[in-house]
Amino acid sequence: MLNTIMKSKVFGWVDRRTGAEAIIKSQLTEYPAPKNLNYMWNFGSLALLVLVLQILTGIFLAMYYKPSAAATYGHYTVAFDSVERIMRDVNFGWLLRYMHAVGASAFFVVVYMHIGRGLYYGSYKEPRELLWIIGVVILLIMQGAAFFGYLLPWGQMSFWGATVITNLFGALPVIGEYLQQLLRGGFAVGDPTLNRFFSLHYLFPLLLVAIVGGHVHALHVVHSNNPEGIDLTKDEEKIMFHPYYTIKDAFGVAVFLLFYCYFVFFNPQAWGFFIEVDNYVPANSLATPSHIAPVWYLTPWYTILRSFPDKLVGVLAMGGSLAILFALPFLDRSKVRSARYRPVFKQMVILFFIDVIVLGYCGHTPPTPTLKLVGQIATFYYFAFFFLLLIVPKFEKTKPVPEGI
Amino acid sequence: MTEQANESRRNFLYLAAGGLGGVAAAATAVPFIGSMFPAADTLAASKTEFDVSTVAPGQLVVILWQGKPVFITHRTPELLKEVDGHDDMLKDKDSKAIPEVEQPWMNTPERRKYRSIKPEYLVISAICTHLGCIPGYKPSAGRKEWGDAVPENWPGGWQCPCHGSLYDISARVINGSPAPFNLHALPYEYLTDTKVVIG
Repeated sequence: MLNTIMKSKVFGWVDRRTGAEAIIKSQLTEYPAPKNLNYMWNFGSLALLVLVLQILTGIFLAMYYKPSAAATYGHYTVAFDSVERIMRDVNFGWLLRYMHAVGASAFFVVVYMHIGRGLYYGSYKEPRELLWIIGVVILLIMQGAAFFGYLLPWGQMSFWGATVITNLFGALPVIGEYLQQLLRGGFAVGDPTLNRFFSLHYLFPLLLVAIVGGHVHALHVVHSNNPEGIDLTKDEEKIMFHPYYTIKDAFGVAVFLLFYCYFVFFNPQAWGFFIEVDNYVPANSLATPSHIAPVWYLTPWYTILRSFPDKLVGVLAMGGSLAILFALPFLDRSKVRSARYRPVFKQMVILFFIDVIVLGYCGHTPPTPTLKLVGQIATFYYFAFFFLLLIVPKFEKTKPVPEGI
Repeated sequence: MTEQANESRRNFLYLAAGGLGGVAAAATAVPFIGSMFPAADTLAASKTEFDVSTVAPGQLVVILWQGKPVFITHRTPELLKEVDGHDDMLKDKDSKAIPEVEQPWMNTPERRKYRSIKPEYLVISAICTHLGCIPGYKPSAGRKEWGDAVPENWPGGWQCPCHGSLYDISARVINGSPAPFNLHALPYEYLTDTKVVIG
């Protein structure tokens, strides 16, 4: 099929003016990929799919959404009403909104799997440090976009979530107060905040597209890591990306869509994990909901924040827990990449995955003294993991890595 | 692969899988494109009530029906006389060119000529059939008050500011106008003696 197209006259005309054939060959049909990639390598293409779905549904939702906190009847506002109008009156509006809301969570599911894959198989190590760092930038922009987007329905969780997070910036010394006013456009979260969050919620995905382009470009320069974590030197260790991995990615997409469609059509709120029930109550600046927590994908960092008794330390720890990801390639000096051949690292990284899930659970659940202690222990291990990486290579007896695959 | 690949089987599977994928992708476009058509609440706002007795003799009122402008004029006996005497200047004096310019209530020659249920109250679309502007109301006959914008034998009616289309006092288009059709007639009825409902 692709061959037939590439032999056509029209393609030849385009090729002479763009060099399209060379690009397709180097990036797709003759792009060499390791032949032993497992299903953990499917999540990158899935993340790209969800990004496209989010942008598409977002563009169509924006045709009906109105970012205004102006009051209508009762405690309702223009923004809240416009979301309800999308749900009830706009053709397929319910579908577009649920695709977008479920898509936000699905985006984080696949991206966290993608990051976990990179951690386990040492994909962040030389020569892929910059590839990893670009990936962390993508994660931060995603979290920003998700945070801005969550304010838009102007429900109770939207309002109080934005109030809490903008207050975090207020904890910083000297500049905090001004930074907070800059984010809110006023002294409290209000109409100006909603307008700028909508603007930024539209901007961030466009940034994502550009940076994802850089991520893919960086990948195609240093090429994919593989489950063995070794450099591939021989040609017979590689297969062409197209058709082998395009087909495998397509299969992954089909499986992903099964889960995605289950949630979109049968369980869009996902028991309150994807859309919190309190967000169906219009924003009220005079009363906070009895239990307030971020959406699941931000809860691990929320637990780190509240594990510290000092406000400023908590804010810095939360920032640090994300910032330390940038340093990861330089903290871990082991020459062996894959956890398959690093017995100590393997235990550590599996414990780290469990640790993040525990952090997430603690942040999602109302705080109790026991959970607070659990959260603090989990926070301790989160940071300990990164510092242990500095010393582990000094005593870890790695298994011999294979010569080839 | 030990045996030779079965080319035709492979091509069939390839086309079947690709074809189904294409159908699925096309089906996905349905909710996206569908969402751009008028929403349920927009469609629900499709009827408008109006009390024509609030229009003074000779006055023109513009109201909205389904978001579109509608002319309601109270034609005095003098204005009603302007309907006659210029049939040779009209593109479509009986309003029969297209379905949109006539309505089931045009069931007598008088109603068809005055293009209204009660002759004195004209309820008609205010959208020029050329490119959608709202024509200006120039009711009295003759050029005196309207300058060069209207012809010397002006029967009285409307003149569109955009491209100069002319309509008579029954909103019928006059020869030489870029507009192809009379102003569209609207589905309306009298609920009481003076209250009309459009839609």
